[in-house]
Amino acid sequence: MQSLAQRHRNFLLLAAVLFAQLLMVAFQIKRSGDVRLIRLWAVTLITPFERLAHGGVSGIRSVWRNYVDLHDASRENERLKSELGELKLKLQRAEVRAAEADHLAGLLNFRTEHPEWPMVAARVIGSSAVDVTRTIFLNRGQKDGIQKNFAVFTPDGVVGKVLEVFPGTAQILLITDKESGVGSLLAASRTVGVVKGTGGPICRMDYVLNDQDVAMGEVIFTSGQDRIFPKGLPVGRVTATRSGFPFKTIELQPIAGLDRLEEVFVLLERPEGSEPEARIPAKGLSLPAGRSDQEPGAGKPRQNELAGKPKPPAR
Amino acid sequence: MGSTRQETFEVSHFKVWMVASTVFISLFLQAFLPRYFPYLAVLDLPLLALLYFGLARRNPANGLLMGTFIGLMQDGLSHQPIGMYGIVKTVVGFLASSLSGRIDTEHPIVRCLMGALLYLLHQMVYAGLHRWLVERPAGLSLSRVLVGTLVNAFLAVLVFPVLDRFKKPA
Repeated sequence: MQSLAQRHRNFLLLAAVLFAQLLMVAFQIKRSGDVRLIRLWAVTLITPFERLAHGGVSGIRSVWRNYVDLHDASRENERLKSELGELKLKLQRAEVRAAEADHLAGLLNFRTEHPEWPMVAARVIGSSAVDVTRTIFLNRGQKDGIQKNFAVFTPDGVVGKVLEVFPGTAQILLITDKESGVGSLLAASRTVGVVKGTGGPICRMDYVLNDQDVAMGEVIFTSGQDRIFPKGLPVGRVTATRSGFPFKTIELQPIAGLDRLEEVFVLLERPEGSEPEARIPAKGLSLPAGRSDQEPGAGKPRQNELAGKPKPPAR
Repeated sequence: MGSTRQETFEVSHFKVWMVASTVFISLFLQAFLPRYFPYLAVLDLPLLALLYFGLARRNPANGLLMGTFIGLMQDGLSHQPIGMYGIVKTVVGFLASSLSGRIDTEHPIVRCLMGALLYLLHQMVYAGLHRWLVERPAGLSLSRVLVGTLVNAFLAVLVFPVLDRFKKPA
């Protein structure tokens, strides 16, 4: 009997352990009891280490998320930057289009307001390759009816005149070029003179007597005497005046915004008439009485400064 | 005849602290890892520890007692009646130890097969016990059991050689 028990010792032990556990399970199920001691042991054994590990994992996670694992944040940042860049670009395009629309609307209005002037709109496609000259190139030329010495302007004011004409393009001499001269008059006093370029961003008005009152900010219009520009186009605004010899020195800022030209008009005929321009206050045009006394020939611009007789355009 | 076969294979010995710490670590990881990696719940690390020591020590009494202890600890960390896993792991521990006397348990293929078969047996016994005692299905799905079988068998092949390094020299 003893040897039998020894031979099947393992099976007996198995049966005993299983039986004990079965009883324990049955007790818990049938009596709704709990073997709290074993749970307590298990929980006491494991949970402190779980708490430690959880703290370690939380710390590692925190460090990882806040300091190490920034590649997502970096990627997100790059994506947002990219989106922001695209949106900025779209906004810029929209603003450019809006500005173009406003500009074109202005051109259209100007053209509508002056149906008597045959003109062609042209786009500025280039500028002078030399710094000392002030010229631009237009995308219109001989084919479009443009000829030399035709006036070029914008709704804001005078730009220049056609210097050379090619089949598909035209070179324009800006009023700021040293070789440029525009027959002009002061709006308030009706004093005439010649606006010349300086080669820089400003122009200068010659042949105005020292005793002539010229207000700062006064607008200077074309006189039409050069037979290039129709009478009454704004040329510039007075920015500085001082007495000189023999004439007053008057500096003016071109109104047409020559440094940001995009579209211009080319007048397709030379002005012939001399009727007063509606834009200019209806005062009589007259040269200052003492002008011819101070300088021979000063009463009227020299022929190399003005393109022709002082006749306003035909209306 | 049986004793002759048992003498054919070497009985491995381990330091007590090594066995205890391995069992403890397996219990701890089993309770800890699924919280952060839920898909790792398919692992049964205490079962693998039981299989390893059962197969290596080739002592059925030790195997079933270790199975009882591990199972009861797992029960204690769960909300099911204490003894459910205890019974199952007692059976598995006893079988693993008993089989180890008849086969070469250090061969990777044998370890893989033993891991798979005993995991399957573990789940089947548990499901049957649960239905019999608790009178409710255990909630085990076939796909989960199959995945668990493959994963635990694969893990047995990987982990057992690591534990082999802690065997006491003969």
